[in-house]
Amino acid sequence: MTSSAPTRVLLFCLLLIGLILISTGLCSQMLRLGSMLLAVSTTTEAPAAAELPPITDQTVVKNSATSSEIPILLTPAGRRMEAFNPAVSFFKFLLTAALVFWVVARWLRTPIILRGEFLKTMFLYEALMVGVIVVLFPFFWMVCTSFKPSGTELKINISNPFDVVPTNPTLNNFKKVLKIEPGNTASDAKPQNKEDAEEQKKNFGTYFLNSLIVASTAAFFVTLFASMAGYVFAKKELPYKSTMFGIFMATMMIPGMMFMVPQFFMICKMGLFGTKWAMFLPHLASVFGVFMLKQFMETIPSSLIEAARIDGASEWQIFRIVIIPLSMPILLTLFLLTFLFHWSNFLWQLIVTDFQEPLSITLPVALSLFRGQYTSDLGLIMSASCFSVVPIVILFLIAQRYFIEGMTQGAVKE
Amino acid sequence: MSAPSNHRETISSLIFLSPFLILFAIFLIFPIIYSFYLSFFDASKGFGLSNLHFVGFENYVNLLGFHFEEGAFKLNDPAFWWSIAVTFIYGGLSIPLGIGASLMLALLLHNKLAGRNFFRSAFFLPNILDMLVVGVIWTLIYAPKYGALAQITTYFFGGDQFFNNGGMLSSPFTALPAVIIAMVLKGAGFGMVLFLAALQNIPEAVYEAADIDGASKWDQFWLITLPLLKPILFFMGVTGIIGSLNAFTEIYAMTAGGPQIVLGGETLGSTQVAGYYLYKQFDGGRHGYAAAISYVLLAITLLLTWLQKKFVAGDKA
Repeated sequence: MTSSAPTRVLLFCLLLIGLILISTGLCSQMLRLGSMLLAVSTTTEAPAAAELPPITDQTVVKNSATSSEIPILLTPAGRRMEAFNPAVSFFKFLLTAALVFWVVARWLRTPIILRGEFLKTMFLYEALMVGVIVVLFPFFWMVCTSFKPSGTELKINISNPFDVVPTNPTLNNFKKVLKIEPGNTASDAKPQNKEDAEEQKKNFGTYFLNSLIVASTAAFFVTLFASMAGYVFAKKELPYKSTMFGIFMATMMIPGMMFMVPQFFMICKMGLFGTKWAMFLPHLASVFGVFMLKQFMETIPSSLIEAARIDGASEWQIFRIVIIPLSMPILLTLFLLTFLFHWSNFLWQLIVTDFQEPLSITLPVALSLFRGQYTSDLGLIMSASCFSVVPIVILFLIAQRYFIEGMTQGAVKE
Repeated sequence: MSAPSNHRETISSLIFLSPFLILFAIFLIFPIIYSFYLSFFDASKGFGLSNLHFVGFENYVNLLGFHFEEGAFKLNDPAFWWSIAVTFIYGGLSIPLGIGASLMLALLLHNKLAGRNFFRSAFFLPNILDMLVVGVIWTLIYAPKYGALAQITTYFFGGDQFFNNGGMLSSPFTALPAVIIAMVLKGAGFGMVLFLAALQNIPEAVYEAADIDGASKWDQFWLITLPLLKPILFFMGVTGIIGSLNAFTEIYAMTAGGPQIVLGGETLGSTQVAGYYLYKQFDGGRHGYAAAISYVLLAITLLLTWLQKKFVAGDKA
């Protein structure tokens, strides 16, 4: 990049301003989220006080812009969070100042000829950061909203619309979604009768468990069957093997919608409607999985299989002792991807769910029902959404390599 | 290998293959035939296999045919044709936008940057999250008055503006773009990873040679980078078409087919894509009709894939 010195300095200043804006915004939101989580988790809310703080001890936040509105009563957690505010501001300025200092120092140390390159890098980082914020904002917003007390869920801080972290966090939404009544400790939560017990079970903990069972059972069987089939296609002899594989691959082109009607009728005829089997049985034949495992197993040296055969191993032993351990990473990938597919396989689970049996509902279906029920109670909807999103995010953070490589493998190999 | 051992090999192969093969035959091959069979039936008296009765080509005639009315041609099912059109608009906007967004991200990331893996993961993350949840969150972001978008725009432009009064999802002209924006942002990371892998496979020497020949960066992008990314572009095109024909959850979560728009005397859902229309028919108990729709959709998919293979991938240098 060849540009004159004044332009360079001007660009640097502009980028520096951008950097300060991004950094302060991001730091303040992240720190406030952290302080909120800390406050919520350390505060043991007296259940009644959470809904209505005692009048004598109330803390009233009067924002100059909102003075006409009803004053917001702070919950105990909200008060504790207020206490963190100075620390949050302090660290926000500290971090931003450190970043700015570091960037300016690097800039001054960079030789003139490399400064164009420096500006480019700085621009790249800022553009990418803005991209990350745009892409991940909805999920950040979801988490924040799920902690907001009923009635104020969507009120963003008026003086700063970019501040989405609640000033007044509460766990009530989560408690309601899980049907933990305020004041019900484990000892006195004994339900009165059977009906109450049933009602008590209709919570997102149950739905979460249903989804977990469906998705992991499906993932286990898909991985098992696909690895057996993949082994045949990669390493074994079979007449018309490649023709068969061609037919398999061709079905991948068919939109899944196409199978909805006939598969539904088949499930009904089998008498499986409303059962957990119905939720995943039609999706057990994963052509994508066979393709992925075949690609991988072809790289296993045949000499290993020959050696095992000479040592007298049976076909099943070869599969179990040679193939499975060597393909472990790809098997794990397929397991995770299948798990994910069934975790969010909304349409199919919606049509085979028997709504007469509310305890068999899976997470996505439950969420859509829940949304119909509580259209206006957004905090509840968001905290229900958290049950679907947060476990997957954690899973992704642990095993991101498997997810990314697995999902993109099909395309790269073409 | 000798003949008997070959025979044994075949049997053991079949045994290994059998669980998958049986499931494949039952749940993927049989439904294709069964669906064809069902498309000639109708269960007008409500749900159930018992009251299915043979109607011949009636479903297809009702779906694709037209009739005379007041001296003009009228389609028998304008809502179906409209849903195909909406699907094409949806695909025609979301596929190029998705490719553009992911290619841009890939080009930004294809630089020597510290923390590249962080950005890669961050952009990829929304991809694996539940479509329904993403749809629900975006619905709330777009919501008038209390949605995040409405509040931020209110802060800058005052209360009396578009995002605050109705929001993107309430106008028939912006509802589909709103869905597309959400889906592009969700899916951009996937294409980005694909493009990034492909970009890394292009040897640096090609660009150096182009530099020596005096090609500008712009020319290099159009004449070197893009042609070399063609397999990925093709892949994204095909998966994008299948995805648009399969689109259901995002529409269900965000608009439920609405808002209504009146076109040529017919009231139609402005975001009613084919997949959602199929679901509606299915939900309404018209199973045979839904099966007929699936077959028409299948024909469209195969035709599009064939066209794309012929014109896009066919002229590979």
